[in-house]
Amino acid sequence: MEGFFPQVVFTIFGIPVRDTVVSTWIMMAIIVGAAAVASRRWPEALEMLLDFLIDTISSVMGRSAGPYLPFLGTLTIFIAVANVIGIVPFVVSPTRDINTPIALSLIIFFSVYYFGIRAKGLWGYFKDLASPIFMLPMELISHVSRTLSLTLRLFGNVISTELIVAVVFMLVPLFAPLLLVAFSMLTGVLQAYIYTVLAATYIGAGLEANER
Amino acid sequence: MAEMESGVLITLVTILVSGVAILLGTITPAIVEGRAVLKALEGMTRQPEAANDLRTTLIIAMALLESTAIYVLLVCLILIFANPLLDRFFPGG
Repeated sequence: MEGFFPQVVFTIFGIPVRDTVVSTWIMMAIIVGAAAVASRRWPEALEMLLDFLIDTISSVMGRSAGPYLPFLGTLTIFIAVANVIGIVPFVVSPTRDINTPIALSLIIFFSVYYFGIRAKGLWGYFKDLASPIFMLPMELISHVSRTLSLTLRLFGNVISTELIVAVVFMLVPLFAPLLLVAFSMLTGVLQAYIYTVLAATYIGAGLEANER
Repeated sequence: MAEMESGVLITLVTILVSGVAILLGTITPAIVEGRAVLKALEGMTRQPEAANDLRTTLIIAMALLESTAIYVLLVCLILIFANPLLDRFFPGG
């Protein structure tokens, strides 16, 4: 199991940099390059992806996807590529390190407040949040706990499928892990979809006006 | 010798607890997920026009249900690979 968990590759000004961070940089270059190539040669593919994202987000939030599309779409593409990039040799998936899901979930945690305050104003947002005043602690606890559960769900799914692949690889090194690698790619893309849908649900819940 | 013995005991209990936890923690979500899929399929056959909505809701619900199994798995991983008790009682061991 040595080398399965993230390793510190080098330190920069005393800050240890893990291999997941390096593979995030590689991944960002790949995404930007692929987008640049695809926009020139297969614009239809990008349009299909955009349509899918707009459909998903607007149907989950029940409103126009416009202001939330850049954030949630980036999230989907980042997580999908991050979960799948682990099949490239010598590149580990960034989501295998728990710090990446924590960072993403913290972004969602703050973006709920950001979009809510932008839509309803500071006073209006917190008034809606605490409309029966005894529900305020419950709401705050649920904000923290769902951030934790988002983190652990993404991390646990990625680490569990990779662990299964590693165990099967130790038992039967030839051909047998291929099926499980394909399965892990499927779960990875599905997790990106689920993560985005849940983020859209949370942001949408923060936007809704409390009727009472 | 006595320290060695208790270290072995902690490891043994950890392994046993991890096995039981992963067993119970995967059986329960699996049963519940199966019931959710059953109900969703019944709904889809009864009302095929609502199939798309049902599918989205089903996927989200499955993810939420499955996260309980994931929590159990993470606890087991922590117990096996980074057991805090061993570090606490036997520092450096």
